[in-house]
Amino acid sequence: MIRSEFRKITSVRSPWLLLAAGPLIVVAGVTGLIQSGGNVHNPAVQRQALAHAGLAAIITLLFGIVAVAGEYRHGSIADTFLSCPDRRRVITAKLTVYGLIGAAAGLVSSAVAVGVTAAWWAAKGGSFRLSGTDTWLTLGGGLAACFAFAVIGVGLGALVRNLVGAVAAALAWIALVEGIVGQIIGSGLARWLPFYASEALDRTDLGGPSRLLPQWGGGLVLLGYAMVFAGAAVVTTLRRDVT
Amino acid sequence: MELEVRGLTKTFGPVTAVREVSFRAPAGQVTGLLGPNGSGKTTTLRATLGLVRPTAGTALIGGLAYRSLPRPRRIVGAMLEATGFHPGRRARDHLRVLAAAADVPDRRVDAVLDQVGLADAAGRRVRGFSLGMKQRLSLAAALLGDPQVLLLDEPANGLDPAGIAWLRGLLRGLADEGRTILVASHVLGEVAQTADRVVIVSAGRLRFAGPLDELGGTGTALESAFLRLTGAPA
Repeated sequence: MIRSEFRKITSVRSPWLLLAAGPLIVVAGVTGLIQSGGNVHNPAVQRQALAHAGLAAIITLLFGIVAVAGEYRHGSIADTFLSCPDRRRVITAKLTVYGLIGAAAGLVSSAVAVGVTAAWWAAKGGSFRLSGTDTWLTLGGGLAACFAFAVIGVGLGALVRNLVGAVAAALAWIALVEGIVGQIIGSGLARWLPFYASEALDRTDLGGPSRLLPQWGGGLVLLGYAMVFAGAAVVTTLRRDVT
Repeated sequence: MELEVRGLTKTFGPVTAVREVSFRAPAGQVTGLLGPNGSGKTTTLRATLGLVRPTAGTALIGGLAYRSLPRPRRIVGAMLEATGFHPGRRARDHLRVLAAAADVPDRRVDAVLDQVGLADAAGRRVRGFSLGMKQRLSLAAALLGDPQVLLLDEPANGLDPAGIAWLRGLLRGLADEGRTILVASHVLGEVAQTADRVVIVSAGRLRFAGPLDELGGTGTALESAFLRLTGAPA
C-alpha cells in the first residue's frame, strides 16, 4: 500500500506545485521581516527569521487534505478500496506517506529559512550564527509542525471527504475561527488550541496570546491533535459506505 | 468460481435500495443484471464488492466475502460507473498505482493496456480521454489481476458500435475460459446478445433469475418480459 501511495504522489504534478509554495512563503516571510526593519544585529530577530520555517505547516496541512479528499473528489477511492479492502491499511499508509513527505517539506523549508536568513544577514552586515541549541530547537519545531499538520490534514480530509469543504474549513479555522474562539475562552485556554500550540512549537509567535505553552508542551498538544484526527479518520473510514 | 448473493438488503436512511435479493452467477457464463434506473443494480454490485455494508444478507465469491479475499484484485475484477481517475495522471501510471496496491506484477499493466486497445494512449493524461477511452481504462483496471470473476456496471456506456461489438467478443471469450461474468445494464438489446442468464431487479426487489431462454431469448421477447416484470406500462 505504501508503494502504491508513493506512486500516486509521484505520478501527478499538482501536489508538488502546492508543496513548492512552502519555501516561497518562507522566503517572503523572512524578507518581509527584514524589509519592515528587523535588526540583523539582534539574535532574537535571527530566531524570529528562522521560525518562518514553520509557516510551511499551512501548506502541509492542505497537502494532507488533498491526499484523501482528492481521492473522494476524483472517485478513485473506490478503486483504492477494491485493491485493499482493509481500509485501516489504506489510511495507515496515507498517514505514513504524507506524514513523511510533510516532514521532508519541513526539512526543505528549514534549509530555505537558513539560506535566506544567512543571505539577508550577509547583505546587511550582521553576523549569522547557525550554532546554538536555540537555533536547532526553532528549526526542529518547524519541521515537527510540518509533520503534525500533514497528519492532521490526512485526518481532516478523511473525515470531511469534500475537498472544497475541507480546505475551506481549514483555512477559515486558521484565519478566523481560532482567533475568535481564543478571545472568547481567554488565553489561558486558547494556548491549547492547535494553531496556538503550533506557534509555541515552531516559535512563529504571530501575535497570539503572549503566554503560549512552552515549546515541548506545544509539541505534545499538537501531537495529540494529530493522533485524534488520525484515529477519527480510521474509525469513520471503516464504517462509511462508498457510493 | 461462483458468485452468490443471498438475501441482500441495503437501506440508505429511509430509502430501501435493495430488498432481500438472492441470485447466483455461475462460472463460465455471462449473467446480465437488468433493471430500470434506480432499481438497485449498482448497490448490489457495490455491496458485493464490500464498498457498501449490507443492512442484511451477504454476497459471496467462491464462498468468501470480498473483504475476506486474499489479494482480491487477483480474484475479482470490477468496473464501476462512479470509479474515477485523477485527471492529471497518465493511463499507465493509473494502472501502476493499482498494481502496487493489489500486489499484481507491473508487467500486467502493459498487457491489459494492450488488451483493451489503449497501448498507444498509455502515456497520455486521463484529462484528455474520451468517455469511451475512460471506459476502456476502467476495464483494463478490472482485468489487471487476471481475475476469475468480473463485475461490470454499464460497461458499454460511451463505447461506439465497434467498441460494443469488441466488448461483446471480449466478455464471451472470458466466459468461455471459465470465468464468471456479471454485467449490470439497462441496454436490453446488448444483454440479449451477450448473456446466458439474466437477473431482473426492479424497485430493489428480485423479479426474475434464470436462463435467458426462459424469457424467450430474442431481443423483443426479452423487452416485453422485462417491461412486464418491472411493472412498466408496455
